[in-house]
Amino acid sequence: MTNALEVEDLRKRYDDVEALDGVSLTVPEGSFFGLLGPNGAGKTTFINVLVGLVRASGGEARVFGHDVEDDYRLARDRVGLAPQEFNVDRFFPIHEVLEHKAGYHGVPHGEAAARAERALKQVGIYDKRDTRFDWLSGGMKRRFMIARALVTEPDLLILDEPSAGVDVQLRRDLWDLVTDLNDDGTTVLLTTHYIEEAERLCDRVAILDSGRVRTVATPTELMDRGTDRVVVTLRESTATARDVLDALPDDDRVADVAVEDDRLVVTATQGGLLAPDIVRELDRAGYTILDLAIERTSLEEVFVEMTRHDDADADDGGVPADDPDTETVAAGGVDR
Amino acid sequence: MSGGRFAVDATGFLTLAKREILRYLRRPWNTFAPPFITNVLYFSVFGVILGERVGTITGVPYILFILPGLVVLGAVSNSFENSSFSIFHGRWNEYIHEVLTSPLSYTRMAWAYVLSAATRGLLVGGLIAAIGWGIISALYRPVPVEHPLYLLASLSVIALLFSGLGVVGGLIARDFDDLTVMNQFILRPLVFFGAVFYSLEDLTPLLRDISLFNPMVYMVNGVRYGFLGVAEVDPGFSLVVLGGMTVVVLAVDVAMFKRGYGLTD
Repeated sequence: MTNALEVEDLRKRYDDVEALDGVSLTVPEGSFFGLLGPNGAGKTTFINVLVGLVRASGGEARVFGHDVEDDYRLARDRVGLAPQEFNVDRFFPIHEVLEHKAGYHGVPHGEAAARAERALKQVGIYDKRDTRFDWLSGGMKRRFMIARALVTEPDLLILDEPSAGVDVQLRRDLWDLVTDLNDDGTTVLLTTHYIEEAERLCDRVAILDSGRVRTVATPTELMDRGTDRVVVTLRESTATARDVLDALPDDDRVADVAVEDDRLVVTATQGGLLAPDIVRELDRAGYTILDLAIERTSLEEVFVEMTRHDDADADDGGVPADDPDTETVAAGGVDR
Repeated sequence: MSGGRFAVDATGFLTLAKREILRYLRRPWNTFAPPFITNVLYFSVFGVILGERVGTITGVPYILFILPGLVVLGAVSNSFENSSFSIFHGRWNEYIHEVLTSPLSYTRMAWAYVLSAATRGLLVGGLIAAIGWGIISALYRPVPVEHPLYLLASLSVIALLFSGLGVVGGLIARDFDDLTVMNQFILRPLVFFGAVFYSLEDLTPLLRDISLFNPMVYMVNGVRYGFLGVAEVDPGFSLVVLGGMTVVVLAVDVAMFKRGYGLTD
């Protein structure tokens, strides 16, 4: 299968700042790929290199096999971008803006008009077709950005923070729309601050920080790297805490065991898989379990933990310590 | 996705050119009303009122003498303003990204901006010629067009040249102030010292020689030759000089687009 995106050692330097510091990524065709990272991580720079708004200082990027600089026309023909900023032609009503955009992509006028109508209906603002962009509400503006990306019927749809500043209903509408598009074969590259969005939509996510890819994994794999909490309520008093702790399995996954409010709290990776062992060992030691709850770590917690760790590294000398995940990515470990 | 590279070339180019032309055609109060009013005033004050005192220059009535210069003035300023404003405004508000992220070639992008701006220059030049024709024909005699083909060629080259310069201006400007500086402090003095309102023969030999470095002199001279059949500089030489400059400027436009100057980070 062709890859929608192949990026190798991509670099972009602005004066003394490495906005992209050797990014390598592969996004398979048909996937729903998330790009997560804090502000200033390089997400938008990365996207802008793909569509020709930023020229890379080094490395290579290919869209469906077409180099974004040498074969820029073929590469751009396949991409639809909904950027974070509202960069829309304010001189014309929105249906004409869409017709123009389709026209720049070589779509004849009649077909362009039909596509514009379709795109506006898809995002639910067809009744505003004769309005200029400035007169749309904030939510409608965000919807229009999606419509403009869709009007060229792209094979790779890039959404840069599509949910920024939109209400819950619109966010869910957008999710439904892009999920349908992805189901129909469109590859989606999504950058977002809303971790829940990535968790819910993406097949795989890359975490970008300080211009470098920290890791690439499925949301589930990432959550497995975080620490869950297994909370056990016993019939017996936890006054004999030392005995209770001794009864627990000796396992590398266990990070901490503590007694909180008369309940036993085991902090561990893959808490769900560890829970049966905990039950067995406690039962063997003669304890009766009244209740057991597994508090799963969220992707957001994993994300914060990873980027917090990186901040500490940066303070130490600017270059993060070697991360096995990063090595995996650089070696092409994201291939599927 | 599009149907193919040829479709993108032709349709993309035509769409961008159409967008650019519609932008000013739909705003006639901004595009056509100002030159209409300004030139009615020019012809009335300079041509009719002052012209009565000046009499004739190079054998033609003063109002007729200034007609070609005013046509050039309108064509030049509108060509330059259109391409420089359109590109800079698109950069300022970033909607030029709609074009830049498309599969249209950089060469065709540059040409679309140039040709649409040149069309505006020719339309305004034609409007001014019509105003002059109306006033002069009513008060004096019909306005001659001695060399129509030369006139058309000359005006076209002038409009292309200044549209091309406007593209450069729009790409290098960092603020709206920069556009004002280019227009008011560079373009306008060149036009006013380009023998629009006076004859080169009225200047001292030194000033006359200095004036020959002003490209506007060749433009006004060429258009005057096209209308009146009289020229102070060889019209063939004028056209060659202007044509050469236009080719260079358009090549610079395309090179700047390809390099992404002012367009990409």
